[in-house]
Amino acid sequence: MELLKSLYEVGWFLLLIVAGVGVLEGYFYTHFRFYDRKWFFPVLLSVVPLLFWGIFGNMLGGHTFALWLYFLLAEGLIAAFFRYIVKGQHTVPYMLIAPAFVGLALLLVYPFVFEFYLSFHDLKLTTIMAWKETGQIPFVWFKQYVNVFTTSPLNDVSIWMLLWRTFLWTFTNVFFHVLGGFALALLLNNNIKGKGIYRTLLVIPWAMPQVVAVLAMRGEFHAENGFVNILLNRLVEWWPALANIGIGPVQWLSNYPLTTCTIINVWLGIPFMMVVILGGLQSISKSYYDAADIDGATYFQKLRYITLPLVKPVAMPAITLGTIWTFNNINVIYLVTGQAGGTEKADILVSAMYKAAFTYNRYSYSAAFAIVIFILLFSISVFYLHGLDAAKED
Amino acid sequence: MASVEFKNIVKRFKENTVLNGVNVDIKDKEFLVIVGPSGCGKSTLLRMLAGLETVTDGDILIDGERVNEYHPSKRNIAMVFQDYALYPHMTVAENMSFSLKLKKTPQEDIDARVKEAAATLQITQYLARKPQALSGGQRQRVAIGRAIVRKPKVFLFDEPLSNLDAKLREEMRVEIAKLHQRLNATILYVTHDQVEAMTLADRIVVMYNGKVQQEGTPMEVYSKPANLFVAGFIGSPTMNFLRGKAAVKGGKTEFISNDIKITLPPSLLDPKTVKDGQEIVVGVRPDDISVDVPAKEGLTEVLEGKLDVSELLGHRENLYIYIGETRVLANTDAVGRTPGDKVKVRFNYANMHVFDKATEKRISR
Amino acid sequence: MIDNKKTSAMSPEELSEKYEKTKESLDQLRGMLMPFLKAQYEKNRKSLERREKIKIFLIHLVIIICCFICIYPLLRIFSISLRPGDKLFSTDLSLIPDGATFSAYVSLLKNTNFLRWLWNSLVITIATSFIGVSLASTAAYAFSRFRFPGKKIGMIILLSSQMIPAGMLILPLFLMIMKMNLMNSYLGMIIAYSVSSLPFSIWILKGYYDTIPRSLEEAALVDGTSAVGAFWRIILPLSTPALSIAFLFNFTTAWNEYLVARVVLFSSQQYTWTLGLFELQGQYLTQWGMFAAGSMLVTIPVLIVFLYSSKWLISGLTLGSVKG
Repeated sequence: MELLKSLYEVGWFLLLIVAGVGVLEGYFYTHFRFYDRKWFFPVLLSVVPLLFWGIFGNMLGGHTFALWLYFLLAEGLIAAFFRYIVKGQHTVPYMLIAPAFVGLALLLVYPFVFEFYLSFHDLKLTTIMAWKETGQIPFVWFKQYVNVFTTSPLNDVSIWMLLWRTFLWTFTNVFFHVLGGFALALLLNNNIKGKGIYRTLLVIPWAMPQVVAVLAMRGEFHAENGFVNILLNRLVEWWPALANIGIGPVQWLSNYPLTTCTIINVWLGIPFMMVVILGGLQSISKSYYDAADIDGATYFQKLRYITLPLVKPVAMPAITLGTIWTFNNINVIYLVTGQAGGTEKADILVSAMYKAAFTYNRYSYSAAFAIVIFILLFSISVFYLHGLDAAKED
Repeated sequence: MASVEFKNIVKRFKENTVLNGVNVDIKDKEFLVIVGPSGCGKSTLLRMLAGLETVTDGDILIDGERVNEYHPSKRNIAMVFQDYALYPHMTVAENMSFSLKLKKTPQEDIDARVKEAAATLQITQYLARKPQALSGGQRQRVAIGRAIVRKPKVFLFDEPLSNLDAKLREEMRVEIAKLHQRLNATILYVTHDQVEAMTLADRIVVMYNGKVQQEGTPMEVYSKPANLFVAGFIGSPTMNFLRGKAAVKGGKTEFISNDIKITLPPSLLDPKTVKDGQEIVVGVRPDDISVDVPAKEGLTEVLEGKLDVSELLGHRENLYIYIGETRVLANTDAVGRTPGDKVKVRFNYANMHVFDKATEKRISR
Repeated sequence: MIDNKKTSAMSPEELSEKYEKTKESLDQLRGMLMPFLKAQYEKNRKSLERREKIKIFLIHLVIIICCFICIYPLLRIFSISLRPGDKLFSTDLSLIPDGATFSAYVSLLKNTNFLRWLWNSLVITIATSFIGVSLASTAAYAFSRFRFPGKKIGMIILLSSQMIPAGMLILPLFLMIMKMNLMNSYLGMIIAYSVSSLPFSIWILKGYYDTIPRSLEEAALVDGTSAVGAFWRIILPLSTPALSIAFLFNFTTAWNEYLVARVVLFSSQQYTWTLGLFELQGQYLTQWGMFAAGSMLVTIPVLIVFLYSSKWLISGLTLGSVKG
């Protein structure tokens, strides 16, 4: 019975989606069809919002008026767009992208704008009930942003520490990702048997569901039962002299959480780099190496002057993406150290932000935090891309 | 079948004017070839007729009816694309019947027409195959078959033979010529290969830089080129061009360049049309150069030349001869001359042309 | 001897005689040295071969070690899942433990909501993937084939949406879903997931559409379809590889997702498998056996699907980047 019920729910939702898309297309189509009629604007701005309010009015609680205003604004913009900028042409492409972009507008743009809105108010545990009923929250100007830089999101970590840690985390991870991936790709690119099997096996850390992989690896760093410490114990048993230099079992999760997370993330991330770089290596024509052999180049010279430059265009997008993903990587940090009772010593910017929101319920603070992170990341990317373009021009 | 008119066609892509006032007429049942180098606008013209490009200015008429605004499928045309554009996921038969199915033609009609077209093109045994399983030439036929089935008013061919190898191209040229006879259809054919143009066309339109350079029958375009471009474009091997000045002295007109001095008789060039000192270009086709023959009526004075390279073509040979610093190409019967030989060169007046350098137009008779 | 004269002072006959004589003596020399030269050549060749063999051996060795490092955690989970109940916390490192048993699996399936979790995940993921792929396929087509105002902006928005910190949108989504009273429901989850993979899917599909020659659609137009008809009848059937890749990507993203689910779902009945598994591995009381069993049950199918389609996926990923 349960199965049927959930199928019914989902089927109904899918039907709703199809109907919604149809309505959307029809809506845009009328825009194209009637954009040049005199009555277009007035009718549009009055009739449609009323319709909207009538249908959705009860569903949205106290927020309806605000939503109606937003809709009016959006509709006005769209209508003006159709009338003055597009002038009724390009019907087909607009109708094709409409569903996707409305979806994105609702579930990407709107949340983004909403975060912005939140960051100027004060939504936290104590005010959230009031908000749910009335839609009102106190307005506090830039207080949250000031808080971001002065108070800490968690118990004992300042934002500057988090910033530093995030950069350290990103840099170390990407460095080892690329190094390991490149090395493995170089190894695999030779004339050896079993390349397919090796590639398949080496890709497993990436193919596994991340939750399973991370939790499993976390288990391996457990102080008593984890593989790493067991091995270290046995090593010291076998060769007691090592204990004198300080090699022995380590309280990974308590004392070195960031290191642990880094090791785990490197293990997770190398396969992706390897695959991309291998693809790049395989596209380099052998004749370059043959010519270099005739010229008398050593292995490292070939590597430096042929392989690296030719792999760069393929590797750069992957490295860029990888850097951004690593910078924003909540999963690993949270899964390894995040639950109640976990440590905060490994937090980076994004994981601290998540915890601020969902463990400490400081929603507005978290929103401001998020905006700050976004601006930071965005500016870095812009600088980086500019630098890249400038370098390309040489 | 129908007639087609392009009236004052202008086409602009952003700031780039591709076609600037083009006028072309295609009579009913005529095979018209538009020929020209890449980028001259010929494909654009064809696609505008098909409805795949918008017309910036001007009118396109099919059978007297203005079709600028019509959807491609409503113009009653069929098109054979350069890369055949066969739907890969359908069999040959399905490819050919697609358009009829869209028009909701009854199935028996569809089957009959497909069978007929397949028989005409000898592709009946491929009807159940998918395009990937066919060779280039076979795919080309299927593309043509797809067009035939529709029984359109006008057939459009967009450089259909450029993706085939040389031998196949020759075979398909003959096929297309036979097709024209059998179908008795109006055909607009676009190509950059002047051999195709010369062999297939009832009339040729030569285009360059978005303008019509000349239109006429193949013979007209070959023997009476309107300007330098047409002269150099039509005919293989390319015409030799000699640049120099006209010298008009006492009723006698001469062409003088650093290396060559020849008389231009009044039968070739009306003396009134040329001024003394005017810069002119003399055009001679390689077949119209005589090597090592005695003086004769209809030949110019002798010119001393030295053979640089000779290419044996069988029973003819291509001779690259330097007259002073000027190099000319002569195509003569093979005699077996060696590079370095001294040769005596004469040009035939019969097919010589004189062009004015500034306007590039032909000024000889 | 003639050799005492300078060559420049010799006559032609003397020169050719000298040439012959020199040639003779060189030939003699070569004949004498030949066996030595041959032996040297052989020695070089053999040592080269040996060096090659050692190099290949080392390469294999290093790769095998790395493979081992990659698989080992998985193998460990496997062995933990087989451990009998009393030995759960042992420090034994063997692959197949003493007294290996499937009791953890049985316990998992009987005493927890594992099957229910899997079902939840499946429903949500399939619905999300369908929505994601359908929205992306039309939008990508528009980006691939048409020029329209706002195209550049659209592409920039799509690209920069990748840069948004993951957690940033969870909060507003959470609040929205809470306000709509869709917490803890399928609908809420589907709404939350449906556009998360959209930009990437659009990118991949656009890259693929770009490789389909436009003449196919033009032929369809001439044959009598509308622009959308050409898309529906011709382009879509031809894009099945790319559509599958997009579907697969949407699927794996939604299937493996944890953070959003954590926020939206709060009753054990409604958990997706990621939440359920996480519940099994709390900080202090880790039900190792069942956790390991559950992990195996989820991972094996995922790995099989991934490895089976990996060639596709890789080429699909590079399609966009090579062309674009």
